[in-house]
Parts: sequence; C-alpha cells; structure tokens
Amino acid sequence: MKTAACLWFDAELGAYLEGENKPFVASHAQECPFCQVVLADLEQLCSLARQLAPAEPSPAVWANLHAVLEEEGMFRRKLGAWDWFRQLQFPQHPAPIGALICLMVLGSLLTLPPVSLERRGTPESASPSKAAVVSLASPSENSALALAIRDMETSYRAGAKFLTPEIKATYEKGLNSLDASIRECTDSLQQQPDNTLAHEYLLTAYTRKAEVLASALEYEGR
Amino acid sequence: MSPQKTAAVKAASETQLIARAQQGDEGAFAALFEAHKRRVYSLCLRMTGNTAEAEDLTQEVFLQLFRKISTFRGESAFSTWLHRLAINVVLMHLRKKGLQQVSLDEVDTSQDEPVKRDYGDEDRRLMGSIDRISLSRAIAELPPGYRTVFVLHDIEGYEHNEIAEIMNCSVGNSKSQLHKARMKLREGLRQDRNKAASGASVPAEQAVDER
Amino acid sequence: MLDRQGIAKKGNWAERGWKGLTLLLVPAAALLAAGNRLEKTFDTSPNPRISVTNVTGQVVVRGWDKPQVHAVYTVVSPRVEVDTEVLPRIGAADKIHFTTHVLDPLVSGNEQAADYTLDVPIGASLEIRNPQGSVRIEKLQAEASVESVGGSIIATDCSGHLAARSVGGDIEIIRPSGHVEAYSITGNLHFVSPATSKLRGSTTSGRILYEGDFVEGGDYVLSDYSGDMDVICPASASYELNAKTVRGKLINSLLITPRRRSPSPFSSASSLLGTHNTGKATVELKSFSGTIRIRQP
Repeated sequence: MKTAACLWFDAELGAYLEGENKPFVASHAQECPFCQVVLADLEQLCSLARQLAPAEPSPAVWANLHAVLEEEGMFRRKLGAWDWFRQLQFPQHPAPIGALICLMVLGSLLTLPPVSLERRGTPESASPSKAAVVSLASPSENSALALAIRDMETSYRAGAKFLTPEIKATYEKGLNSLDASIRECTDSLQQQPDNTLAHEYLLTAYTRKAEVLASALEYEGR
Repeated sequence: MSPQKTAAVKAASETQLIARAQQGDEGAFAALFEAHKRRVYSLCLRMTGNTAEAEDLTQEVFLQLFRKISTFRGESAFSTWLHRLAINVVLMHLRKKGLQQVSLDEVDTSQDEPVKRDYGDEDRRLMGSIDRISLSRAIAELPPGYRTVFVLHDIEGYEHNEIAEIMNCSVGNSKSQLHKARMKLREGLRQDRNKAASGASVPAEQAVDER
Repeated sequence: MLDRQGIAKKGNWAERGWKGLTLLLVPAAALLAAGNRLEKTFDTSPNPRISVTNVTGQVVVRGWDKPQVHAVYTVVSPRVEVDTEVLPRIGAADKIHFTTHVLDPLVSGNEQAADYTLDVPIGASLEIRNPQGSVRIEKLQAEASVESVGGSIIATDCSGHLAARSVGGDIEIIRPSGHVEAYSITGNLHFVSPATSKLRGSTTSGRILYEGDFVEGGDYVLSDYSGDMDVICPASASYELNAKTVRGKLINSLLITPRRRSPSPFSSASSLLGTHNTGKATVELKSFSGTIRIRQP
C-alpha cells in the first residue's frame, strides 16, 4: 500500500538524486521495500547514463562536410599568384589591407612616368583618343588594384547570403555608391585626362571599395 | 606525464589547431572534427533518437563551427563553445519539426501518461537487467522534452540552471521534468524486460498499477 | 486509504509544495520581466585598453575619474551571450574585451541585441565594433576607434585621437579636441564646435556639415563625392581655403582674398583658393559633384 510517506518519498526523490540533503529518502527506503526498489533502479539508471559511450558517426559526415567547406572556399588554397595578397588575412584586418592598396596606388603614382598627364600632340590636333586616355597612374579596369578588388568582390558575393538583410542592404548601398563614383570618375577622365581631382577621387573610390569589401568579408566570416 | 600536464599539453595543441583552422588549414579542420565528432554526434543522436537526423545535425554543427571559428578568441573552453552550439542546433531542429514537447514550460501535464510504479512483482529490480543498448533504445523512445533534459543532465552533465537557460524554463521545471524522465525511462526499461522475459508483448494496462 | 495522520502529513506536504513553488516562481518572474541584465565592476590600471565587439544594440561609453570599469549589459535573448576577457586575470586589468556571441543562428534582428553601458577611466583607449547598432562615447582623453556598418556614431567631448568609420551610419563629432578622422560611404558627417588642430572627414554620397571655428595652425580636410557640404564658421575665423569641385557648385558667403593660382595643371569646374582674415588655419574642401557652401551662422 502506498502511504503518505511514500508520497513524500516521491516528492523528495528527485532532489535526493541531485545530491541534495534529503535524509527522509534514505531512511524511508530502508523501511519500504517498494520505494527501495525505485531508488535502486534510478540510481543504477543515472550511473549507467553517465557511462554511455560516445557513438561514432559514419565517414559520410566528414565527406559531406569537407565538400561543403571546399565549395565555400574555407580551405586555404595552395599559393598562387594572388595568395600573397590573401595571406594578409584581410577579413580580419581591413585597415591594413586598405593601407596596402593605398601604398600600391601611391607607388604607381610615384614610380611610373606621368605620360598620361601630358596632352598628346599640339592643341590644334584632334583630342586624344579614348584608347590613349588610359592612365598609368590611375587604376584601370585591368590594373592590379582593380583585379584585386574584383577578387574580393567575388568572395563577398559568394558569402553575401549569410548576411542579415539590414547589413546586406547597407553594404550594397555603399558599394553601389562607390561603383557610381568609379564610373563617373572614369568617364570624366576620358573627357579630361589631366583632371587631377578626378584621378584623386578615382583612387579614393577604389580604396574605399576595398575597405568596404574587407569589412563585409570579415562580417560574413562571423 | 601527470594528468594536469597532459591536459595542459592537450589544451595547447588544441589552441594551435584552432589558430591553424582560423587560417583555413584543411588539416586543422580535419583534426578538430576528429577530436570532437563523437561527442557532438552522441549528443545529436541521443537528443533526436534517429541516426540519419543525428548525422545531418552533426554536419550542420561543424559547418557552423568552421564558419564562425574566426570569432573564437578563447574566452571559454573550445569544447564548451562547441557543445553549446551543438545543443542549440539540435533544439532548433526539434522546434522546426514542430515537436512542442521540447519546450519545458510549466504546462498542464495532466494529459501525460501517468508515471507508473510497479509494485508486487517478485523480481522488482532492474539491477543487472539493463545494458547500454537497452538504455540507449529507451532514451530514444522518450518524449522529446523528457529526452532533452535527461540527455543534457544525466549524460552530458549540465546543471539545472544551465538547462533552464538553454531551454528557457525555470530551474524547478527542469528538475521536475528530469525526475519524470527518469521514472518514464525506468517504466520503459521494465516493460522491455518483462516482454523479453515473457517472450510476448504485454499490454500496458496489464502491468500492476500504482497503489 | 490514508489514515488521519496520513491526511495531515499529506496536507503539510502539499502546503510545503505550494510554498516552494511560489518561492521559485516569484524571482523567476522578476528575472524574466527584467530581461537578462548583468552588472560588473572591474578594477583597472589608469589607462586600460577596452574593446567591445557587438552585433547590434546600443553601446554607450563614458569616461570617469575612477580606475575602474563599470559595465552594465543587457541581452534580449537567452541565446545571446556576453563574454568578458580580463587581462591580467588577477589584479588591476590592463585590457578588458567585451564580446557578444549569438549562439543560435536562428536568432535574428533585434533579438540579437546586446546593450552596453560602460563607465571607463578617462585615460582608457577604446576600440568598438558595433555593425548594426549605435555607438555613443563621451569624455575620453585617449585614442578611440569606433566602427559601424549601419549604426550611428556620436562622440562628445573627446580629446584623444578619434577614428570613426561607418559604411552607412551617420557620424556626429561634438567638441573634439584631439585628432579626428571620420569616414563613411553613404552616411552623413556632422562636426560641431571642433577644437581640434587636425580633422579629416570623408563621405562618398552622404552630406557633410561643419559648424564651428578653425583652430590656429589647424589642418582640416573635408571631402565628399556627390553629397553636399556645408561649412558654417564665424566671421572671425582665420583660415586659408582651398575649395574645389569637378562637377558641383561652390557657394561662398565669406570674404576671401584670392591667391594666385599655381602653375600646375588644375582642372575643375569650380575652385576657390584664398585667405579669410589672416589665414591661420588650413582648410581644404573637395567635392566631385556635390555643392560646397561656406557661410556664417
């Protein structure tokens, strides 16, 4: 027959098994064979649960995981032409990579002859052809700087799905603004190749774009 | 080497592995997976009771881990961080499946099957009659809410205040659910043992009821 | 069947059970109502380095005259944790790092929020990253670096080197007296009563508003691409001006003594080089297609 003592035992059993001081549980278990059974069973259960050996997943788990990580470009590739650039870990250090790009740009400005800043031919001759407008001192579409930024943008686009909508919208707005300024400056330079302010803005736009992409890549990595 | 020194060396090795993984070192990824896969998989398996789901979830846990590993700065033990991540992934999976029982909020449990205490059997004890396989099977058959709290507390070693935070419930609720989970497990194991002994299934209502 | 003693015992047991439940539920309810708020105080060296890495929410940092950091942080979701790293672990801290971790990938939006309010020694150097949330810092004397993506940044009465960067968030710098660098892509920049001798402000499509005087010997460069720029300074301001725009307009209401143009090729739609009063500060204003306006208050 289940007595009130057994009910009290039921009520305190959980706490007793947690290690709380419940002397009534132990004393009642000595008097009541039925409650003694329950206590012994649960103690055995808890003990066995702690000893459960870890299970082993099938090899397919790693195979699938590896495939996904490789597709996402999580593994560091073997050193290639641009890996010296990636090794700078720009996702973690956007400021240094922005500074590096500025140095690249400044280096090109200081070391290359300012051929493009001089008007070709006499003032009476036809205006410079668009092909001749390409300035060695400004980033062009195929310059090392533009290629590096394009590389960063590809990585950003691949991971943009992991950004929250608000953050993604902010980055997209910023990048669109910078792309518009790059296009406008490039057009301006085609018409006025010696416009130093346009040169300056174009370089700044590329630098800022690199910084924004570096920030976005770092955020995607979180 | 003393246990403390072994632990220190192991921690230092893992720190190096993590640093290498943060650099995208494929070997480091593999080593971290190898070191922690069993514990993560076991947790997923015990909480879902299904091997296919557990493997999918294990993959998802490590995927999230490796994507976020650059943010790990060593403020807590790596295994703790990984473990919490695994629990959250599994809980979200269970909730998405629409298993409302996963919540441990104080709800009306009067519709639950009463936890039975079998009295009157001559061989009343479970002792010696359950093995790890039987226990694993019985855990898998628990309702999700009971299973979760039992796995977290009795197998994974979480305290009730931690379980309460994970499950968004009170400490008292966690304790009461754990006790019910244990009693339910006991009942399930006794029924399995009785079936095995009689060689036939025994309908629940034929078990000796609570006094 | 229960005997009388059994009934009495059962009654006592039930009463204890209800009391226990009440004792458990009341504090739990209070905790739930308050959210998850934590408050900690750390003893620090006079010039510690403090960093906050957050996701979203408000970060407020104020300087005070105690060698302590008093931190209050509140999280909305239990799936969001704030980790604190203190170095060294024992004794006065030289470095304290606060990091918000979102443990559950399904937690999104405002549920990811962690709000920080920190009182730090005025000599503390600061590094704050709060991509989606706002940042406000006040009364700091050492260097401060603040980065946001979409959140606003407001710095008041800071006398150390201040670097504020955002992609889309607005930046407002009020009464700075140390070097200032403020950069945004689409956010607006607003400088109020700067007392600094070196200021750099740049935005691509945002607006720039500068209200205040120029310090003698100071060096100021404001640049935007397509946004408008307004400089409102007193008639007594003394500066050398170099203002230029490629496709925008230049509107000046102050008396400028023009300087002879340098022989270097220079091509812009509008430019103005000259001196206001005695030209004691150097002010460079650049815009590609925005309008630059210089006027008195």
